[in-house]
Amino acid sequence: MEIDDPVTNGNTDAVMTESTPPFTPSPPVPASRLSQLTESLKLEHQLLRVPFEHYKKTIRANHRYLEKEVTSVVSSVGDLADNNWSKDVTVSRLTSLVSRLQGLKRKLEEGSNVENLQAQRCRARIDHLDSADAENITEWNNTKLKRILVDYMLRMSYFETASKLSESCNILDLVDIDIFREAKKVIDALKRREVAPALAWCADNKTRLKKSKSKFEFQLRLQEFIELVRADSYKQAIHYARKHLTPCGATHMDELQRVLATLAFKSTTECTKYKVLFELGQWDILVHQFKQEFCKLYGMTMETLLNIYLQAGLSALKTPYGFEEGCTKEDPLSQESFRKLALPLPYSKQEHSKLVCYISKELMDTENPPLVFPNGYVYSTKPLKEMADKNGGEVKCPRTGLVCNYTDLVKAYIS
Amino acid sequence: MDPIATVKDGFNQVAKRQKHYHTISQAVTDGAFEGFVESLVQILTKNDPKTVLTELKLKLDSLLPINHLQESQKETNTSLTKFEKVLGKSDMFPASRSIDLDHQLVDKMLVEYFYRQGLFEVGELLIKEAEVEVDDQLSEAIARSLEIRRVTEPLKEKDTEPAMRWISENRENLKEEASKLEMELVSLKYWEMLRQRKRSEALRFARAHFPKFASLHSVKIRKLIVALLWVRDLENYPHSEELFPLGWDKASRELTKQYYNLHGQPSSSLLAVALSAGVESLPRLLKLVRVMGLENEEWGEMKQLPVDLELGDEFRFHSVFVCPVSREQSDEYNPPMMMPCRHVLCKETILRLCKCCSTRRFKCPYCPAYTTAAACRQLYI
Repeated sequence: MEIDDPVTNGNTDAVMTESTPPFTPSPPVPASRLSQLTESLKLEHQLLRVPFEHYKKTIRANHRYLEKEVTSVVSSVGDLADNNWSKDVTVSRLTSLVSRLQGLKRKLEEGSNVENLQAQRCRARIDHLDSADAENITEWNNTKLKRILVDYMLRMSYFETASKLSESCNILDLVDIDIFREAKKVIDALKRREVAPALAWCADNKTRLKKSKSKFEFQLRLQEFIELVRADSYKQAIHYARKHLTPCGATHMDELQRVLATLAFKSTTECTKYKVLFELGQWDILVHQFKQEFCKLYGMTMETLLNIYLQAGLSALKTPYGFEEGCTKEDPLSQESFRKLALPLPYSKQEHSKLVCYISKELMDTENPPLVFPNGYVYSTKPLKEMADKNGGEVKCPRTGLVCNYTDLVKAYIS
Repeated sequence: MDPIATVKDGFNQVAKRQKHYHTISQAVTDGAFEGFVESLVQILTKNDPKTVLTELKLKLDSLLPINHLQESQKETNTSLTKFEKVLGKSDMFPASRSIDLDHQLVDKMLVEYFYRQGLFEVGELLIKEAEVEVDDQLSEAIARSLEIRRVTEPLKEKDTEPAMRWISENRENLKEEASKLEMELVSLKYWEMLRQRKRSEALRFARAHFPKFASLHSVKIRKLIVALLWVRDLENYPHSEELFPLGWDKASRELTKQYYNLHGQPSSSLLAVALSAGVESLPRLLKLVRVMGLENEEWGEMKQLPVDLELGDEFRFHSVFVCPVSREQSDEYNPPMMMPCRHVLCKETILRLCKCCSTRRFKCPYCPAYTTAAACRQLYI
């Protein structure tokens, strides 16, 4: 990193006396690291967003709680002062208020501790992003690989494996196992046609869902209504509708009307418009909707990270040579399964020549330039030189068998 | 400006405001508490409740400037929203095409990856949790990883016995690699003994093992023996780094690579290679998608990426020649041709330069030499 320090730049000989104020300009970040950081930040949105959402929620909840308690305490005092209660009543009331204040104080402290922990988590992640630099980039990328795998396993619900992996690689701070466990509970319940955990989740994240104008809670309620109709408990259904569906009815009138009309049909109706509403496939739609809301809330992609990175990687690795018969085993595209995956993806583009020696499998460059046999076959200098040293100056082309003298070889200039 | 610094700043702001809020709320609660206790005491010591209470009310009103609290809350909230803006939106969506990943296949590859990395317990757990079908291929892969681990794990404790044994067992398949690796391991072990000041032991070891390498590595052996004189000051032995081109870690990795090579398997998990390639290339890919204004699915429908994603050299598995003039990749229909002046162009460029007339002379774009198309030789890379 070049540190261009205009202040001390000519004064390196000058004695740094106490009179010179310690001026430490922040070194200008070199362009490559800057772009690397910007990109890294964009890609790691999920990493930072999740703990931050929790942190924000706790802060807001604590705010609301304190406000409520304080106002109620003050109003109770006012109430006491205005009316003429007897001494004993006043004393008992005051004591209860005092204990309430004590409870409030304790809760504030607890809340503050929880917030601190969450803030720490956020900071740890920001620091992790910051820690990526040229020296430890392989190590950092290795951690990234593990994180991608943990994300895949969490989404597939392999919780134990994910925890074990995170523990073994010390990335517990960087993964969010708990929210996926919660999500699984909701999804399992929905698969069992139970709406309660999903509703609880909605209540928990009410503000966020409202901000994104989510229809999810409404859909859940509609489905419960349909279930009641299916069970022929019409009275309950109507009661339920009055209680839960009318508030959001105004915004979603069409849908509401359609679903309410199911009252008129039995669950085994053949009328297609309403048959569809009774189908069990509706629950799958709900599960899908939940996943969407969940991912939107935490800034996550609907696809697993593994999917995304794998596609990008396969496309970057895809060359026509990868599909040939004698393709080296090191190329992931040599494997049938990857070939299938890579089929619809675009080929990679190369802008510079890079020659890999057939003998040594190393790249040819200025230190190891390409040498050409009389028949046009090209290999790198090092293995050919070794071959010549061992065979008295003679070299043999491994692919055609042509033998010639090392001195007959010609250096090619490939830019 | 450094984006991470911006994020850090934003977050620090939030934390600061929240801390401020907490100090205020603490002060307020404490003050209220004291006031309450005081009034209680006063009432109990026979003062008129009503006056005490009015006093308390006034005190509370002055103490609890709810506005103060609310303001602090508001400040925290604004810093929260500001931070959210700094975080921005997730940018991955353009790249997330939904493809049909065969989960069973991925799980199998994951198991193999874990075993290769030495994370045996994780691998076992995954087999159980994902109900991976352990067919012949997979169990072979697992057995292989266990076997190579038995050889390379002792190297961490600087015990070269199992590794040496394995090398001698597979000597004829390994050919020259065998002696290179053996020499490396033997010299590392010898050096370790010197580090531990076991001079006579080291000498005995050298007598037993160095002679067979005498022809190939005589210079190195000489340097190693002379190091005996430096036992007390080993770090300052001149040019000691040259003696060990690999070192313990790389030797271990090289062993693993040779092992997998012998069994005709790739030297690292293919899934890991593909994912690492993805990690390196995704930023550029996203930038490309953004700059081209592509939608979700469109980037995948292109026949070829318009931009080089610049993967590192470790992902280079095939030779590729790109004509410096036309910037096209050469293939069997358009092979690289070398001109007598040793510069290389692709066939189409040469044809274009000589206007398809094979006897017409044209000048090489890189040097003053003139040549004809007929004088160019095809190269096989």
